[in-house]
Amino acid sequence: MTDIALESTAETNLRWRKWAIHGGRLALAIALILGWEYGARTLGRLFFAPPLDVLERIVTLARSGQMFTDIAATMRVSAAGFAIAAFCGVLLPFLLRRSLRATEAVEPYIMASMGIPKYALAPWLILWFGIGDLPKLVVVTLVVFYILYITTFAGIRGVDQRLISMARVIGASERVIAREIIWTSLLPFFFTGLKIAFPRAVSATIVGEFLVSTEGVGRSIEHARQISDTTGVFAGVVIAIALVLAINGIVNLIERFALRWRPVERDMEI
Amino acid sequence: MAATLLEVRALGKRFAQRQDRDKGREPAPWVIKDLSFSVRDGEFLTIVGPSGAGKSTLLNIIAQIDIASAGEIVFDGATVSTRDPRALRPGIDRRIGYVTQDDNLLPWRSTLDNVLFALEVQGRLDAQARARAEMLIRTVGLAGFERYYPHELSGGMRKRTALIRTLVYDPPMILMDEPFAAVDAQTRTQLQADLLTLWELGRKTIIFVTHDITEAIALGDRALVLSKQPSRIAAEHVIPIPRPRNVKDIFALPGFAAIHERIRADVQ
Amino acid sequence: MSVSAISPTRSPAIRWRTHIDRALVLLLILALWQAGSLWVGTYWLSSPWATTTRFVELVLNGELIRHSGYTLAEAGAGTLIGGFPAVLLPFLLRRHPIIVAILDPFMVGGYGAPKLAFAPLFLLWFGIGMESKIALTASVVFFIVYFATLAGVRALDPRLVQMAQIAGASERQIARHIVMPSAVPNIFAGFRIAVPYAIGAAVIAELISSNRGLGYLVQTGAMNFDTTSVFAAIVAATLLVHAANALMNAFEALLMRWRPPLQSMMET
Repeated sequence: MTDIALESTAETNLRWRKWAIHGGRLALAIALILGWEYGARTLGRLFFAPPLDVLERIVTLARSGQMFTDIAATMRVSAAGFAIAAFCGVLLPFLLRRSLRATEAVEPYIMASMGIPKYALAPWLILWFGIGDLPKLVVVTLVVFYILYITTFAGIRGVDQRLISMARVIGASERVIAREIIWTSLLPFFFTGLKIAFPRAVSATIVGEFLVSTEGVGRSIEHARQISDTTGVFAGVVIAIALVLAINGIVNLIERFALRWRPVERDMEI
Repeated sequence: MAATLLEVRALGKRFAQRQDRDKGREPAPWVIKDLSFSVRDGEFLTIVGPSGAGKSTLLNIIAQIDIASAGEIVFDGATVSTRDPRALRPGIDRRIGYVTQDDNLLPWRSTLDNVLFALEVQGRLDAQARARAEMLIRTVGLAGFERYYPHELSGGMRKRTALIRTLVYDPPMILMDEPFAAVDAQTRTQLQADLLTLWELGRKTIIFVTHDITEAIALGDRALVLSKQPSRIAAEHVIPIPRPRNVKDIFALPGFAAIHERIRADVQ
Repeated sequence: MSVSAISPTRSPAIRWRTHIDRALVLLLILALWQAGSLWVGTYWLSSPWATTTRFVELVLNGELIRHSGYTLAEAGAGTLIGGFPAVLLPFLLRRHPIIVAILDPFMVGGYGAPKLAFAPLFLLWFGIGMESKIALTASVVFFIVYFATLAGVRALDPRLVQMAQIAGASERQIARHIVMPSAVPNIFAGFRIAVPYAIGAAVIAELISSNRGLGYLVQTGAMNFDTTSVFAAIVAATLLVHAANALMNAFEALLMRWRPPLQSMMET
């Protein structure tokens, strides 16, 4: 086999594959949308709102400003819940870190409480606080708290013990150790945790709004369902997903910006 | 004179290069070029060479898990090498066994089940086969460890298991890629002795690759020296030490120092 | 090793102390709970005692068992319906990486999209009965297990496959003896995460709209201003999740005896 023959076979193979993959994805996406349209025609508008109707509704919602009011309401609660949860979820491991005894004593209960379905608390919280932001806020805070708590703890535990021992020998105080070594080692994990937690906060808020229907994206979806407004449900779900994906994207961008200096790992595409 | 079992003729190998804008359209370098040798039936052939000399690549091609870029390989009278990856027949219908550098035991099988694996796959799991497996286990000193999982065994024990796993189904030729490189010196000498014991039982054809000249002399009837890339056979040495050999005291045997020196000179 | 287990390196005296510490913390929690209940009234915060008695009462009259059964059935059916294709797909597509690549963005999208947000959609389609909850849990389980299985199939050590090929195994035998056992730990990890999730999802869907299940109990309790029942139902749901977790852990320990002991950092 000659040199050039060897090279070009490998090269054409790779190019063909790339085309096949992109083409296949496009074809699949088109097929899904066509299937959606077909489903709307055969199964009836009650079950499957036609894509064009949904699009129209989304535009209407945007025009009337309803969509933005909803999003604002949802984001308000998500951001607040996330902030509180981040504070507690990050602080607690650091506090517990000081005393191994306290950690071991308290840990099983934290793990046990994690099994409580947080959304199930919503009806009881409504009893206390009425229908409003507060029940949703509590639920979202709880959901995000556990995520960050575990991530932070894992990060702390993953810190190189030898660095800590070394610092102790030098005579650094616990505070300095926490700040200098643990916090710095923790930062990558921390960002990953935040990256996961914030979109989760948004989706948790939306689900919370299903249960505590006052305002927000979730509330619109649930309301539409209750009056059998299928188009409304579809439109709402599309908006909800777009929102979560957008948040995801924004957080990713922020991360990339903040960690510009890091060598980027190039993923091998098939 | 025993028949030639394997013949390697002007073998060449190069790997397809990744597309790299910087490097441009340079041809990929030859890893193996114009390599030829032959192996007789029942011979214990050792191949010595420095690291990176393409030893594993050579064995991979012989074992038919990789294609050749040039030349051909004739096994038992039939040409087996191919340029087409899809035409590869690994192990050539179980006539070539391969003991790799990593023991590659199935971690979810016990020692006994690992040894029986090939037989199971070949549908030859009868009482006779089992007896043979158990005999081999005893011969290498693994009696009592049949139910242990690989992670519970020491490195040397895993090596032995990998060894007898291939021997148990009796392929006419066995390739070995530095199987004892990763164990300590003491275990290695013991494993070498065990290997020779097992080989004496059946006189299979063995091609044994190593970077250790002493090992090559201790085990082989003949030692081939592989050059650096692009690899070819740089020299051939017949080992003048008679069998049966005491590998533990191989240093002391007459003729050892001389052959060692000759081979070492060729490896430079 | 769960994080709640006390490290075996701790001395017996310290372990005792930890057990006592934990008991004290529990007493503290219960005391605070009881005090809180007394302060604001059982209507707002059911006391530990009232919750426990109600719990027992509901167990004895069968109601809690019945509704737990519905929730479990929903989660279980969803796990099977979602899990089965999720395991199958990566195996079928193992030799078609192009199809896997085509599917990838859709799968990632499905995995990242909050399935719980689809709950109203499922309720619209399937009504308030068990079917909608099963559909929801199936969709939750599917994506989790798909990626876990995919990782398992991808993590396959190609040298083990080569070893099997040399030993003469057919494609089918390789799939059964090498690919499958190799992927099982990952598949299992997927289910371990997915099953408790499925139970939680079922409860949430029941909270939104249902006529049976633990979520339904919580809602009816709240609507009747019966905080005690609400608490009892929540306790039941929590126990269910933990039981599912414990069961999965036990299964794993049973199936994975061949695994070298891993240092698992955190159990969710």
